[in-house]
Amino acid sequence: MKKSVVRKIVVAGVLSAVAAFLGLTRLGYIPWFSGASLTVMHVPAIVGAVLEGPVVGAVIGLVFGLTSLLQAAIAPTGPLDPAFVNPLISVLPRLLVGPAAFLAYAAFRGKLEIPALGLSGIVGSLVNTMLVVGALALFGFLTWDLFWPIVTANGLPEAGAAAIVNVAVVAAWKGVARRGGKASIAAEEDR
Amino acid sequence: MKDLEFFRNATLGQYVDSPSRVHAFAPLTKYLGLLALAAPALASRTTYAALAVMALGLLVALAAGVRPAFLLRGLKPALPALALIMALQILLSWPGDASAALLRLGPIDVTVAELANSARIAARLAALMVTLGLFTATASESQIVHGIEDILAPLSRLGIPAHRLALVVGIAFRFIPILAGEAELIVKAQASRGADFGSGTRNPFRRVKAWLPVLVPLMLRALERSESLVEAMEARGYSGGLRSRLASYPAGRGEKALRIALVLFGSLSVFLASRAPSPWGT
Repeated sequence: MKKSVVRKIVVAGVLSAVAAFLGLTRLGYIPWFSGASLTVMHVPAIVGAVLEGPVVGAVIGLVFGLTSLLQAAIAPTGPLDPAFVNPLISVLPRLLVGPAAFLAYAAFRGKLEIPALGLSGIVGSLVNTMLVVGALALFGFLTWDLFWPIVTANGLPEAGAAAIVNVAVVAAWKGVARRGGKASIAAEEDR
Repeated sequence: MKDLEFFRNATLGQYVDSPSRVHAFAPLTKYLGLLALAAPALASRTTYAALAVMALGLLVALAAGVRPAFLLRGLKPALPALALIMALQILLSWPGDASAALLRLGPIDVTVAELANSARIAARLAALMVTLGLFTATASESQIVHGIEDILAPLSRLGIPAHRLALVVGIAFRFIPILAGEAELIVKAQASRGADFGSGTRNPFRRVKAWLPVLVPLMLRALERSESLVEAMEARGYSGGLRSRLASYPAGRGEKALRIALVLFGSLSVFLASRAPSPWGT
């Protein structure tokens, strides 16, 4: 697949829409043991970074961060939500999710494609959790003793979910592209 | 199966054609108006401030020939979410809440601050929905994209390709309803094959497993659609440069003065709101 600017723009736009959609409908939140929901809203940023590079990942992360900022400001649903009105907590950490995932992927891609995808999902997801929880602690919304318990209780399952989705989506997508060089929608229209 | 229809009743995003003065403004002016009303609505710390913003929005709507009832109807789909938010406000105890408790039922107590906060959240949400509804009722889809381009234009002086960023935002806006339709199709298709969406189960592992068959196809469909969009754009000769426009939006002196007034109003009201005492009394 040749890398074009147009493709980067479009993929960034569409995956941003996926992140915003998951947030708006709350489909991106999965209820979990610890009370705080797991989120998979950062996965589009990881997928975008792996497919189209770190800048696309950062742009999708920007849209995801802004969505969570707006959501926290308009409709807070938890005691921690007021904290997310601060863009240093809601936006800045999310900008780095895509680039981190891209670096992890770039280090192992090629022969070890599937493990590289899984690893980039885990790295991107953990960067999200640790930076957000770290920022919360830095601004005094949480104490530092809670850092590792939260990263373990929420961050690890989120990382697992992100790895699974990243592997499934990217492997399937690249498979589709390899088969005919065309997306299946285009193939449907040709028939 | 109620939750299968995601965006069916949203009036948000419906353009109302009308030959009004407000409709004739340039997209940039409309964006500044949106920000001038949305920023104080977000920053408002009292119910009254949020209600005042909403009243202002409804007045502009009257001037624009948009019926206030149309904008208020847009609040209806948000009501269940609002009820949930208010319930959470009352059920959870909030740090820093030192106000008097009005009612105590076991571990749950209803405090003055919780009620005041619920009213404030409701008023804020209403103000914001009215403002956004007013914006989308007076700005057409192409104006929304042109406006983002204009408002980001100063960034291009810093070497950031603002028009590309604007296109990203425009595509994202355009795709949200499309994705809602795709998600509905996927959920229905999976449900018709007997998929269990974890409703009625308390086991979080089953819930997680239930989400994967929605999320993965949703992202793949999104990527497929983006591929056909790329082909369509490249076939029409787009290669990431500046796009020309059919419509031009010349702004007269009065409109330029209005833009300055809107920026001043927005920043002043946010400044005043940030200096108001916190509703928590801390």
